Amino acid sequence: MLLQCRNITYRYPHGEALVFNQLNCRLADPGFHGLFGPSGVGKSTLARIIAGEIIGFAGEITRPDNAVMLYSCNTERLPGWSSVGDHLAKVTPASQLPLLRELITAFDLNSCLDSRFSQLSLGQKNRANLTRYLLQDFDLLIMDESLANVDEATRKQIIATIKKMFPDKYFLYISHSVAEVSTFCARILVLRDVLKSPQIIEVAGRDQHGDTAMDRAVLERTMLEIVHAA
Amino acid sequence: MNAAAVRSIFLLCLICLGALLSGCERQSPEPGEEVVYRLKWLYNINTAGDLYGLEHGVFTAHNLKVAVKPGGPERDAIREVELGRAQFGVASADQVIRALAKGAPIVVIAQLFQGNPLQWIYRGGNADYAGPDDLRGKTVGITYGGNDETIMRSLLAKYSIPPSEVNLFSVRYDYTPFYSGEVDLWPIYRNAEGIVIGEKMARAGEKTSFFVPDLLDVRFVANSLITTRKMVEEHPDLVQSFRSALLTAWQEALAPANTEKTIALVHAYDQNTPQEIIAKQLAATRELMLPENGRFGQIDVAAWQQTERIMLEQGVIEAPVHVDKVLLLDGR
Amino acid sequence: MLPKRISQFLIIYFLGLGLLLAIKYCFSLSDYVIPGFTDIENTAADVFGRYLRAVLDTLGVAVIGHLLAIALATVVAIAGRGDNLVGAMIKTAAYNLQAYPIVAVAPIIFILLGDGLPSRLLIAAIICYFPLLLSFIGILTEPVASIEHFYVVTGRMRWQLEVKIRAFENIHKLMTVVTGSATLAMVGTIVAEFIGADSGIGYSLRIALYQSDMAKVLAALFLIGVFNSLYLVSLELLGLVIQKNMGVEPRMN
Repeated sequence: MLLQCRNITYRYPHGEALVFNQLNCRLADPGFHGLFGPSGVGKSTLARIIAGEIIGFAGEITRPDNAVMLYSCNTERLPGWSSVGDHLAKVTPASQLPLLRELITAFDLNSCLDSRFSQLSLGQKNRANLTRYLLQDFDLLIMDESLANVDEATRKQIIATIKKMFPDKYFLYISHSVAEVSTFCARILVLRDVLKSPQIIEVAGRDQHGDTAMDRAVLERTMLEIVHAA
Repeated sequence: MNAAAVRSIFLLCLICLGALLSGCERQSPEPGEEVVYRLKWLYNINTAGDLYGLEHGVFTAHNLKVAVKPGGPERDAIREVELGRAQFGVASADQVIRALAKGAPIVVIAQLFQGNPLQWIYRGGNADYAGPDDLRGKTVGITYGGNDETIMRSLLAKYSIPPSEVNLFSVRYDYTPFYSGEVDLWPIYRNAEGIVIGEKMARAGEKTSFFVPDLLDVRFVANSLITTRKMVEEHPDLVQSFRSALLTAWQEALAPANTEKTIALVHAYDQNTPQEIIAKQLAATRELMLPENGRFGQIDVAAWQQTERIMLEQGVIEAPVHVDKVLLLDGR
Repeated sequence: MLPKRISQFLIIYFLGLGLLLAIKYCFSLSDYVIPGFTDIENTAADVFGRYLRAVLDTLGVAVIGHLLAIALATVVAIAGRGDNLVGAMIKTAAYNLQAYPIVAVAPIIFILLGDGLPSRLLIAAIICYFPLLLSFIGILTEPVASIEHFYVVTGRMRWQLEVKIRAFENIHKLMTVVTGSATLAMVGTIVAEFIGADSGIGYSLRIALYQSDMAKVLAALFLIGVFNSLYLVSLELLGLVIQKNMGVEPRMN
């Protein structure tokens, strides 16, 4: 097990209301995990607490020593003073350069390498940003709407590639799309309103790999389960 | 530029024009109305008589209601008098002559200083500047553009001393170059800063003396009382009354019997200067203001003409202004 | 850009001059109060060469003073951008010191440094330094989370990179502040020359005012305006080149 959150209670600085109350969750196995919930329920906040970017909460998070947990989101930008290719090369450890080339091909970034980040489409921006995180040393990568602007086919291909290339890593995939998390994630943490208990319910997803056929009825059952849980 | 912007600019111009025009509106005082008297400098010993007239009822005794306003580097009494913002003012002869050269309609109704207080202080122990030739090889402070520059250049020309033989040094309010010995002669108002610096040097064990252009026959008239020709023509009684009141006030302020009163009065307006210094300043002022014949305020026409001649020779003015024509010896 | 700046200045200058002349002729004021057109023309022709050299002298000092101020403000803002004791002290000192009227401090500078170039440079630099510093501190203190986050979480963030990101992201603001402060540098130099120096157009202005010569003052103001406009245009062009080289969409102030 990589991560276990026990009795997490948190309110925003200077805020009165609780965001989390005695929240419990865990990431037991490597692979794609989903974090789903209505807008404003605190998905990004929980993700940043897990990544260690937010402190000042009550409760306990247990994780192995030296575990690297990175949080990425779709609003991040690359600096504008150099091209995307230069930037990616600069932030890639030497040992990961072959991986960089693979990801560039897999994520269809070849045409963007000579451009500045501001010149890319939203989908290209998301892919370039995700690429640089995948090149870092990590145990868990949180992808907060990281593929929000990528078209469905490419998104499917990217997720499949990630699953194939990083079978031993943990991913926490945050999305508003119930179909998406149901399809791609092995376990889905459904984050609910603070007044509900338990605040997180775990639902099994379909964890699709590549182009494997998906039983439509099973998928719909999963989706319904998630929606009911939320 | 769109029509709205043009309208805004036009409106702004109109407002500015209105404000400026109202500022330029000439005012002639009605009988019994307050008259404004603009001094040449800030309140100090050189305004003792003006303050005396105000505070000891001399103006009131002459049925005058006077607002005495301090001058300063940014104030020009001649402009204020011409613009009608003041009815009387104090200006030095060089200012008057410059203004006349530009067509200013002003007249001189009294000459306050009989001797020019603008002199040069020097260390008495180091050198003796008894004659102009002693200036050769010395560093002499002048205010470029100021009347001290005109006086010094005129003096050098009069005594055939090439400017190359005197090191002219640009001076400001900071006296450090004089204290440090970098400058040998420093221009000061003898009855004001002259006393203060002399005292400081004396405390440091150094004797000081003054280089007096008047004694070398370079006579440059200092503070005088001015008004406009229009005032003299339209309000002759008011002009007479003011002139008389002011001269009386100065006489009384400088009278030995009123010494204590005058010192206290000047100190009340100029609290940075200790009373013992004001006492010495008052004594020096008496010597510069009271003429030998006792006619306080008399206009020394010859000195005015020499001032004009110096300015003409120095190229400060381009053509004669015939200053004698604006000197109203008895204020009429 | 240049014709626009110059023409804007000329319109304002000649509007002002026209207003003065209108007042002069409306109220039959003497040339002493407001000089006539011929007087201004003759005086301008007479002093042009001398004033041109003086204004170039002033501009040179203003440019160097401005560069010094930019360099100093950059260094202090970098030191003061942190959310620590040093940063807090620098920010407090900057906010308090900028309230001091430099004109009041200038005579002390002249006493300490004399009336030569160092005093003029220092006063010019100080007058434009504080507005620059406050803007630079504001810009360099504000995190650009969307870019910095990656470097922070991957342990790559260094102070140089942080400064580079924040400066780059605010390049338009920085250029506006730098251009705006150029006028202050010019004003600072002129004030310094007016108060204590022995050269430059401020010194010439002081002499003209001593002599109550408004025509000379107007001639000096004309040259100051023209060269100030030229300096501003040069900075704007430089800003455009910098923005272009950095791959930022060039934007005029």
